[in-house]
Amino acid sequence: MRLSELMSNMDLAFYPQVALVIFLLIFAVVCVRVFSRKRSKEYERASRLPLED
Amino acid sequence: MQTETFSYDDAITRKFAWATVIWALVGTGAGLFIALQLAFPALNFDLPFLTFGRLRPLHTNAAIFAFAGNAIFAGVYYSSQRLLKARMFSDKLSSIHMWGWQLIIVAAAVTLPLGITQSKEYAELEWPIDLAVAIIWLVFAVNFFGTIAKRRERHMYVAIWFYIATIVAITILYVLNNLALPVFASKSYSVYAGVQDAFMQWWYGHNAVAFFLTTPFLGMMYYFLPKAAERPVFSYRLSILHFWSLVFIYIWAGPHHLHYTALPEWASTLGMVFSLMLWMPSWGGMINGLLTLRGAWDRVAKDPVLKFFTVGVTFYGMSTFEGPMLSIKSVNSLSHYTDWTIAHVHAGALGWNGFLAFGMVYWLAPRIFQTKKLWSNKLAEAHFWIGTIGILFYIVAIYTAGVTQGLMWRAFDDTGRLAYPDFVETVLRLMPMYYVRAVGGAMYVVGVAMCLVNFVMTWRSRPAEYAEVRDSAPALAPSYEGKPIPPPAGGWVNPIGVFYYFIRADWHRIWERAPVKFTVWTTASVLVASLFEIIPTFMIESNVPTIASVKPYSPLELYGRDIYVSEGCYNCHSQMVRPIRMETERYGEYSKPGEFVYDRPFQWGSRRIGPDLHRVGGKYPHLWHVRHMENPRSTTPRSIMPTYAWMLENDIQWDTIQPRIDAMAMLGVPYGPALAGGEMMARTQADEIADEILTQGGPDLHGKDIIALVAYLQRLGTDIQKAAQDDRPVASN
Repeated sequence: MRLSELMSNMDLAFYPQVALVIFLLIFAVVCVRVFSRKRSKEYERASRLPLED
Repeated sequence: MQTETFSYDDAITRKFAWATVIWALVGTGAGLFIALQLAFPALNFDLPFLTFGRLRPLHTNAAIFAFAGNAIFAGVYYSSQRLLKARMFSDKLSSIHMWGWQLIIVAAAVTLPLGITQSKEYAELEWPIDLAVAIIWLVFAVNFFGTIAKRRERHMYVAIWFYIATIVAITILYVLNNLALPVFASKSYSVYAGVQDAFMQWWYGHNAVAFFLTTPFLGMMYYFLPKAAERPVFSYRLSILHFWSLVFIYIWAGPHHLHYTALPEWASTLGMVFSLMLWMPSWGGMINGLLTLRGAWDRVAKDPVLKFFTVGVTFYGMSTFEGPMLSIKSVNSLSHYTDWTIAHVHAGALGWNGFLAFGMVYWLAPRIFQTKKLWSNKLAEAHFWIGTIGILFYIVAIYTAGVTQGLMWRAFDDTGRLAYPDFVETVLRLMPMYYVRAVGGAMYVVGVAMCLVNFVMTWRSRPAEYAEVRDSAPALAPSYEGKPIPPPAGGWVNPIGVFYYFIRADWHRIWERAPVKFTVWTTASVLVASLFEIIPTFMIESNVPTIASVKPYSPLELYGRDIYVSEGCYNCHSQMVRPIRMETERYGEYSKPGEFVYDRPFQWGSRRIGPDLHRVGGKYPHLWHVRHMENPRSTTPRSIMPTYAWMLENDIQWDTIQPRIDAMAMLGVPYGPALAGGEMMARTQADEIADEILTQGGPDLHGKDIIALVAYLQRLGTDIQKAAQDDRPVASN
């Protein structure tokens, strides 16, 4: 049995859709994290980095 | 902690900035020339190395890799050193990177007009140059990550993240798309065939836009815009979000370049969904850039640098709105293969990349040449206005051209027949727009020339000797003593606790200080997304159903196909009849995935300046093709195609045929008798065709290149019309 036959029988077309959801979720988590209040001070400092030299 | 003093290497920025302004003129100048060729075909001068098909890749490569590339490197070398508070890891590596890159550009400028090409858009360079690109890119990567390793600032500013993503993603994309089996030093065959080759190419092509023309320029925007505005970026949060959206989402969007093609439906839908999702974060980034100028708008009126940045960022917003829109299938069915794509690309390239690069050059010039001020702010202002108006002329004309031609292609008359069955009619209608485009392009090029003058004059007032640029910062502590991170409440077994742990995401804060982890995870997300899309296309047989009657090209046809590839015919002719009525009416049966299994590389094209050729086989007699190539105007009055008269004079290089067959066989093409006697088979077929041309009243063309090309064109798209058991003299068993 060839690899491509094996893969064909695994119904892989479903995978990208699962991956889409996973990536979307990770992205949502990143969004929530980025906008959490407690990091304000750190961002403040980071955003001034280009102006320091 | 002891404070260390150190110096910045601005000499390397100076060199890259020089290269930027010089290549800017070459790249846009080449663009202007080929734009004029479309308006005035006589400008092809009947010379092989000046034809549109060979020069268009030269223009795109020069604009992307020479102009934008050098601008990226100038920006990265200048900003990274300062953001990381460290001199570049190695001056020698910087220098190798700089000169190596320029040599590659020169090699491209020599080989492309000679017809040495892989014919994959923005990846045309043949394998020896590809290897050189890989090596030089590696040099850049080592130098860059080495600098991160010896940095004195713990937190990596968001611009550095964008640079890391650029280096990582481009490495993956470039290597995977360029995998090919060399035949000669100047010729290789893609390891992918047909649909898979197309998929890889546009996965690359799209992401080259993402990770070569977007992420590094965003990194530059996040550094140079605050610099020029003298205030921090509007929202650092938004910039982080912007970054992850590009890494997580952009990489998926490639298949939108292949709507209504033989690509599987699910893949193109997936590409469309992700493209639409990209719109919002991209606009977040644009707004972030524009709002950085809050309270500084009075300075925009006075400062040409800020003007360039403002308009550049606005064009970024425009392109990232239009891109998702074009990825919607129904819009795409109108826009694809028309000038709409060209207008979209140029709004992005001239407006976003060009203006951001020029703004940066004007900001950098007085600093790297240590002259305190630019030679002439007035000239920079003039450049800004002539450039902006030039872009508007260009894109308005070409948008109009795109929509016009798209609508003409799909117009039916009352009797249900194509309203414009003659393809050339839809091209000639565009001529006025092509003249306006050339005017707009010329204005833009004049602006670039002004930039070069300003740059040279600023350089001339440099000091006799450059002062060393010194800075000081405390050394980085060998380890970071942050607050300990509490484990999830209720331990790792409590799902709610784990969820909150990830949302709080202190772990991410550690990444931002830890370049290795950061890079690994960025790479992983890019790779995983790519693999999820790529593997099914490659591995599921039902995605590319085989068609029994589709056979490998005969040795002569293969040779003819290589001529087609080398002349860059794909720059104007697609080989992909979409399953839409207007297409099947005009060209014939729509293209099936299984028809392309022996196409290395694929030749689907992306723009129809001439008609689709997938069903051209058998449509005209041999002699028609001969006359048409000798002088297209003799068969199609007012055609804008260049002449290819030399094909009637150049001799077929018989001894190169067998190596081509052998290489294809090595890639798995089932050649039978041709493995032993490829040349003999080719000669026999060539004689038959040449004899037939004689009987049709044509010239004696025995052994000429044109015969091989005719053999290929007559074979194109004919296999599915033949019965599967047909014993045609194809070169396979």
